[in-house]
Amino acid sequence: MSGNAKLEIRDLTMLYKTGDGVRNINLAVEQGELVTLLGPSGCGKTTILRTIGGFLQAASGQILISGKDITHMLPEKRPTAMVFQSYNLWPHMTVYENMAFGLKLRKVPKSEQKRRIAEMLEMIKMSGYEKKYPGQMSGGQQQRIAIGRSLLLQPDVLLLDEPFSALDAKIRSQMREELRKIQTDLNITVVFVTHDQEEAMALSDRIVVMNKGSFEQVGPPQEIYNRPASRYVADFIGEMNFIPMPDGSIKAVRPENVSVSPGTGGNLDGYVRTIMMLGHYIEMTVDTDCGIVKLFVSAEEAEQYKRGNPVALTLGESHRYNDDQSAAG
Amino acid sequence: MIKKTWKTNVLIACMLLPALILALGIILVPMINVFIQSFQDGSGNFSLEQYYFLFTDKLALQNLWYTVWITVVTVAGAITISYLLALYLRFSDSKISKVISTVYLLPRFVPHLVAIYAMMTVVRDSGFLNRLSQVFGYNFKPGLLYNAKGIIMMNLWFNIAFATMIIVAALAGIPDSIIESSRDVGAGRIYTFFKMVLPLSIKDVLVAMTFIFMSNISSFTTPYIIGPNHPKMFGVYLRDQFSKMRYERAAAVSVLIFAFSSISAIVYLYTNLKEKEWEKTGL
Repeated sequence: MSGNAKLEIRDLTMLYKTGDGVRNINLAVEQGELVTLLGPSGCGKTTILRTIGGFLQAASGQILISGKDITHMLPEKRPTAMVFQSYNLWPHMTVYENMAFGLKLRKVPKSEQKRRIAEMLEMIKMSGYEKKYPGQMSGGQQQRIAIGRSLLLQPDVLLLDEPFSALDAKIRSQMREELRKIQTDLNITVVFVTHDQEEAMALSDRIVVMNKGSFEQVGPPQEIYNRPASRYVADFIGEMNFIPMPDGSIKAVRPENVSVSPGTGGNLDGYVRTIMMLGHYIEMTVDTDCGIVKLFVSAEEAEQYKRGNPVALTLGESHRYNDDQSAAG
Repeated sequence: MIKKTWKTNVLIACMLLPALILALGIILVPMINVFIQSFQDGSGNFSLEQYYFLFTDKLALQNLWYTVWITVVTVAGAITISYLLALYLRFSDSKISKVISTVYLLPRFVPHLVAIYAMMTVVRDSGFLNRLSQVFGYNFKPGLLYNAKGIIMMNLWFNIAFATMIIVAALAGIPDSIIESSRDVGAGRIYTFFKMVLPLSIKDVLVAMTFIFMSNISSFTTPYIIGPNHPKMFGVYLRDQFSKMRYERAAAVSVLIFAFSSISAIVYLYTNLKEKEWEKTGL
């Protein structure tokens, strides 16, 4: 691990009474980097985040921020700020009071509070909402304020626990963009937890794909997408066709790397099963001897195919996995 | 929704009528009667002598203050203990807290008389505690019966379960993330309690307080069985006057009890009807 990491997790283990949890986690996050912990529910991603925030106690291992050990600090003493999935704001306080709460605790002078809150509201495009109560705002607006409130305290590391998952799709992608912009503008270090792989791909500098309490793969989004280290990652990130090979291994091909032509004589032959219009492209599934294969074709190209037509598939860039799930090359 | 015409209004009135008549007949009419009676002397003439007596007679005044005092101590004690208990049940997930959360409501299921007599066999000066102490060579006399201590102890026994139930529900309605985000921005446990937990649960605490106040200001069974001969709580005093056939004075005592209950009913209505700005939701 590099010595100048903003956040460093060393050999962290945190177990619940049930025996679930995370074991031997190692991760270093650079200043200004946005790292996403991605995985299905119950994989331990929120556990790691809450342990960094101080809401769960590590059984062993260390958490360092700017080189300082914070493993045993109370949440209120940590230089972290957390945004939860929902109910972040204190319902009995106005937006202004919500934002001033932490500043007051830090004994920031009144005039300074006012100036900083105004600036922050401007940045998160919520000026004029000072006197509103959380109950009077939409979910998206509340999360904006929650993020703004955390940023106001200039935390060393910002922790986000699926902050957009309760919002509808359109607002979610809008919030994503804004968060990314603010994060790069302010050069803040962020650990983001999500189960939404699309969100992870869109936001992250690096993604940590998690499975059952441990890391499956850590890397930039392109690398995770183009070179999934295991069948699990290949399956979890994006769409993937898994084609069993005669030698017992499994060939994984992304739908965009499969091309189709009428007739027979491809790497794989079959019959058109479904043709689905998905906006500017068509998703086609083909019934083959090796199962159903998904692929994308353009709208014009799709016109020549009908359900039940015999087609030949050519498989492009692919990966191979053994049954034990590790990459076979 | 059915459109309201005069016909549906008549229908609604007709359907409500039996209940209305019943309520008028058994509550409102006697209330008015008692109220009128309390302003009469023994021979039916208008007079303030009953109230004059209650507010000047030394024994009557002692009864009045005794009643208010016991009720206030009961309310304060029950709410304090219940709040602490509810906090423990809400924020601890230990085994003890799980056990308590399943059994704390049991007193609600024990009939008053049974509970009082059961308690008497334990705390009486020759009761279980006394016998137990004799085994170890002591002669411990709790001295809890026939005085205010006994009444208050019994009141607490009945009311803590009720108040805890209400406060537990209020605290359960505060999401963890609200408390955690307060800790997260730098507030300690105590500060978080006063800035988050207390303001978000105070309304239910007031509701519990008014209920306990109302049921205890007029309590009869407990002070009748384990209370002293003097001073008496108003419930017992009322019965005394009644059995001595001083109906006008009994009526005046009833009106006073009712007046105290009304104050707390007003507090209840005020806290429930008055929506704070933040409780109004919607855009």
